[in-house]
Amino acid sequence: MMLIRRFEEALARRPDHGFQLLSSGEEAVAVGLCSALTAEDELLTGGRSIGPALARGVDPGRLMAELLGRSTGTNSGKGGRGHLADRTSGFFGAHAVVGGNISIAAGVALAHQTRSEPGVVVVLFGDGAFGAGALHETLNIAATWRLPMLFACNNNQLSVSTARDVVLAPRPLSSLALAYGMPSHTVDGMTLDTVTAAAQEALDGIRAGGGPAFLEFESLRFASHSTNARETRPAAALAVIRARCPIQQFATALTDQGVLDADARAQLEHEVDARVAAAVAFADASPFPTPDEALTDVW
Amino acid sequence: MSGEAKATTERMFFRQAIRRAVAEEMRRNPAVILLGQDVGAFGGSYREFDGLLAEFGAARVRDTPVAEAAMVGIGAGAAAAGLRPLVSITYMDFLMLGLDPLVNYAAKLCYKTGGRMTAPVVIKTTAGAKGQGVAHSQCLEAWLMGIPGLKVVAPSTPADAYGLLKAALREKGPVVYVDHKRLFPTAGEAPLAESVSPIGVAEIRRHGRDVTIATHAYMTSIVLKAADDLAREGVSCEVIDLRSLAPLDVATISASVRRTGRLLTVEEGQATCGVGVEVAARVRESIGAISSARLGALAAPVSSNPVLEAACIPDAARVATAVRALCGRAVPDR
Repeated sequence: MMLIRRFEEALARRPDHGFQLLSSGEEAVAVGLCSALTAEDELLTGGRSIGPALARGVDPGRLMAELLGRSTGTNSGKGGRGHLADRTSGFFGAHAVVGGNISIAAGVALAHQTRSEPGVVVVLFGDGAFGAGALHETLNIAATWRLPMLFACNNNQLSVSTARDVVLAPRPLSSLALAYGMPSHTVDGMTLDTVTAAAQEALDGIRAGGGPAFLEFESLRFASHSTNARETRPAAALAVIRARCPIQQFATALTDQGVLDADARAQLEHEVDARVAAAVAFADASPFPTPDEALTDVW
Repeated sequence: MSGEAKATTERMFFRQAIRRAVAEEMRRNPAVILLGQDVGAFGGSYREFDGLLAEFGAARVRDTPVAEAAMVGIGAGAAAAGLRPLVSITYMDFLMLGLDPLVNYAAKLCYKTGGRMTAPVVIKTTAGAKGQGVAHSQCLEAWLMGIPGLKVVAPSTPADAYGLLKAALREKGPVVYVDHKRLFPTAGEAPLAESVSPIGVAEIRRHGRDVTIATHAYMTSIVLKAADDLAREGVSCEVIDLRSLAPLDVATISASVRRTGRLLTVEEGQATCGVGVEVAARVRESIGAISSARLGALAAPVSSNPVLEAACIPDAARVATAVRALCGRAVPDR
């Protein structure tokens, strides 16, 4: 979680490659979910994908290189924000069309099922994707075919600036999946252990052949939609939101348990800063693609 | 002592050619699966998938709900994960419900991952007017020609339906394969031996001197009929069946137009931003200024009313009129 936060902070200081989609505040969803995954599982996400990619184990240097447009990036600098992919890390990929990766994920799950391969396919999407027809279509098919698939909705309460209550009828969002006969739960997405436990339970059921499941993680986005989008929430509300920091909450819990002290935390922060600095240095030392690469990999 | 020459082809209907192609590819490659509405026990809307469920089982031949966006998305995702899905979209009019995963995901995946991933999904769909009305008759293949990362084929014969569908199921990336409703009742010779038709190669269906007519799918038969009629007037037409719309076989068309000096494009879809516009532009880029004309449907929806449908789409008489105008020939006395 600390790595995600620091990585995104470093990226936010780099406006030289356009806007970025950050996830500060939502780190527990990414880390808790990914901590329940195995190497055989596949993760697909929406565009807000830096946290999940890092949590899945994608190399920070190659990730930073991709986000800064360098040819050493995970996608050779061609995907960029919203399209990160690194299959070797079990990160099947992000897709920046809102709701666009949901049916794709079901296809990946179908491939697993058809080949009797182990592993669960997880698609992480925001409440912004919840209103898309593709979700209903895919829930229906996944339930009918009993695909080994977890629908994970990271409900950060905002679709750019539009609050979920203004545009989405189901309360809670997870109640939609009940109509398809899926195990379905809404849990606190700001508490790491809660996310991990819910993900583990859902994944256990899917691995046991129980068919797809749905989880809604209620989270809070600390920043605006993107690094160049206006923040529409009042400062007082933001202060309340940011006080619920999942990293601080987890650190406090560890300290209370006697697992983490100030020195250990400082050491962790030092290590994280060093990894982020190395990632930025790797990216900065890497070349941009050459213009003729605009025509490679088209087919 | 010499025996009869052994036949190398057999006569088959379009649906049989499609069925044979899919069955052969499913036998050859366990990664090939079939998804679509009514593709299972029903055997497809044109019975082009007859018996595939019985032979390959419900895991590989799957009926879907009416949900084109998810069908194409699931096909694209399964392709990205290593399967070779054939997704049947009953009518091309409904393909637009699935254009997001096709255009934004499947056609982009190779590029956006720097060549690390591809989505070799085949979308098989059916275009064309046959009495089914304004939202079940359209030929929208031209829309797909400008999507980098996507190939588009449209056969006019059972042999090409067979060969091109097999080729599509072996391609590296996504392919849209377009049938035409009026071709299903037609039959033709197809090779007995297993064969694959390369994508990107046009076929000269009739050689001629005065004008090149580039067309595809069902319109090929209309154009050949017009060419017969024009031959009796002394106009010699070279008829090119494009077969592949993306990529276009510009070399074959250009070489023909260089000989004839004239190009007429004929399509059942709209002429505006149509296949013909692209063909003519590419030929000009290749060989310079040419004399050309285009023929497509009237700029109107295609009604299920047979009078209005016939009024809307090109027929042999209209093709002949366009050729005469292009060649500066008087209309013959009747």
